[in-house]
Amino acid sequence: MTALANPRLAVELDRSDEFNADACMNCGVCSAICPMGVDVQPRRLFRYVLLGMEDRIAAETETVYSCLLCKMCEENCPSGVHIAENVRTLRHHINRTVFGL
Amino acid sequence: MSGRRIGVYVCQCGGNIGDYVDVDKVVATIEHEPDVVVARSAMFTCSDATQQEIVQDAEEQKLDGLVVASCSPKLHTYTFRDVAKRAGINPFQYTQVNVREQCSWTHTDDHEGATEKATRLVRAGINRTRLTEPLEPIVVETTPKSLVVGGGIAGLRAALGLAEIGLSVFLVEKEPRLGGWVASFGAMYPHGRNGAELVAKLEEAVRANPAITVFTNAEVMSKSGSFGNYQVTIAVHGERLETITVDVGSIVVATGFETYEPAAGEFGYGIDGVVTLPQFKKMVDGSAGPLTYNGRPVKTIAYVYCVGSRQSKDVEGGHTYCSRYCCTAAVHAALEVAAKADLSVRQYHLYRDMRTYGKYELLWNESREKGSLYLRVPDDEPPAVEKIASGGLKVTTRDLLTGGEEVAIPADLVVLVTGMVPRENDELVSVLKLPIGIDGFFNEIHPKLRPVETIVDGVYICGACQSPKNSAESVTSGLAAVTQSGAILKRGFAELDPMVAMVDTDACTWCDKCLEACPYAAIEQVDEDGKAVASVIRTACKGCGGCVPVCPTDAVDLQGYTDAQVKAMIDGLLEVTCS
Repeated sequence: MTALANPRLAVELDRSDEFNADACMNCGVCSAICPMGVDVQPRRLFRYVLLGMEDRIAAETETVYSCLLCKMCEENCPSGVHIAENVRTLRHHINRTVFGL
Repeated sequence: MSGRRIGVYVCQCGGNIGDYVDVDKVVATIEHEPDVVVARSAMFTCSDATQQEIVQDAEEQKLDGLVVASCSPKLHTYTFRDVAKRAGINPFQYTQVNVREQCSWTHTDDHEGATEKATRLVRAGINRTRLTEPLEPIVVETTPKSLVVGGGIAGLRAALGLAEIGLSVFLVEKEPRLGGWVASFGAMYPHGRNGAELVAKLEEAVRANPAITVFTNAEVMSKSGSFGNYQVTIAVHGERLETITVDVGSIVVATGFETYEPAAGEFGYGIDGVVTLPQFKKMVDGSAGPLTYNGRPVKTIAYVYCVGSRQSKDVEGGHTYCSRYCCTAAVHAALEVAAKADLSVRQYHLYRDMRTYGKYELLWNESREKGSLYLRVPDDEPPAVEKIASGGLKVTTRDLLTGGEEVAIPADLVVLVTGMVPRENDELVSVLKLPIGIDGFFNEIHPKLRPVETIVDGVYICGACQSPKNSAESVTSGLAAVTQSGAILKRGFAELDPMVAMVDTDACTWCDKCLEACPYAAIEQVDEDGKAVASVIRTACKGCGGCVPVCPTDAVDLQGYTDAQVKAMIDGLLEVTCS
């Protein structure tokens, strides 16, 4: 299904100073070293945010919550993406939109 | 035995040759050839140590001929000519034998065969060397003046550079004004300086320089003469046509490029709101505040990269090359847009590969932080651009970075990032005999080592007529052409290879067949004791040998590659080896 690109989500999430998903250069180190072997790599999750694909993010609720926030990825990220903080921001968003908290 | 004393050096080229050709075996076989007094193998013949060894051998053994069997003559002919000179051997009595590109690299699966072939090639080289005569380079006096064709940023800077080193310059521009493309540009990357102002400054300096004569509305009509001394006729279109003939020692061609014009319907070209990069650049340059289109604010822009560049080989007349400047130009345009608006303008870049090379990477980084999002699209699935009911545009593509998710981008403006294409310039090409490469741009002799020289001595190319270049690269190559011109013109004379045709006037009957065969107009009819015979203009002859086989009386021969030498080489290649 074609998703409609929508900058609104990125702008909304961008309120946190720490949220820097667009620094990702898609090298894949994060995916390679994730101890949970999460299916949807952080880099793809962040692109969903940047492209405004809200339903894709909602569909990945499990993934977002399976992250241990161990920061192994963040420690090794050559682009300095604040992956753990980004995941927290996503959780905050999902809490509101999916769980209505 | 001819009494010659020949030294033969067979190179291992590290493992490039030695891994496939048994070099020691080649040496052991050919050292018994007549007239060979020294035969050695070397790890790298081009190394200082081996060069020194050759010089020493030559002195001790009184060598008068040299054979180096290594790589292509394109690489090291001049290296070993220099070695020969230092060794007291006439440089034209050395023969380069190619046992790398034409032997070891081509026969990596057959060591024995490669060794046998190398032996034959070396023997052929020895046979040629045996018959060589000492030759002297052809010395021509040069005219200390230059012609620059094209008054864009490369041509202007070259003209100024030539004048600065003390040469007289004629600058010919086809258009009524100088400045070329850059004169129509606003802010340019990487510094954001205004293109029009930049060339205006350059033009001012050119106009103020008494050594430079500028012809606008002018074209090159014809060229005669030979290396170092060309006569060029220029037509100046005005109220009435004027023709002027100038004497020059070098010609710098800086005729620039055309921009790619998409076909109707190509990526939606023709739909209102779909523009090319140059059109977009004009819009951005011309708007003081946030960008508007048809009176409405532009909030979302989609850039489609590689339009008219890196096209498939299957596209008829397609441009398969990368146009080099466009990625950075588009990124810079996006930054200009962001600078003039607030960061709420969302810019989507649909690229195949981002090539913001070198320092321009920083611009890409900056654009990312200022509202640009980059989507990598598949090479074989071009984004689809269409008009939607609400009046806006929609670009549909797959984003490879999310694993191929199909994404539709609603956009107020779609920018087709078009590249540079070669300019049609048939007349100039035929007048100057300019070589054209497979991409349709003018071709240099060697992309690394002789990047502005053409096969026509004294004719140099620079700027985007050679290949897509940004303005900085165009100026760099323009200044390289200045240096090359200076190298032949400031000394007052130049040396040419004496490997040219010669005529046996006793045998010549002036049938003019050689004249017809010559692509360089290097044959003329002269009178010798009342008899019409052919004569070679030695400074125009390129030594291609085209005139030799057509001569019905065998009166033409090629110095340095005489019939006798070539026959001896063939004999050497065919000789039965007993091992």
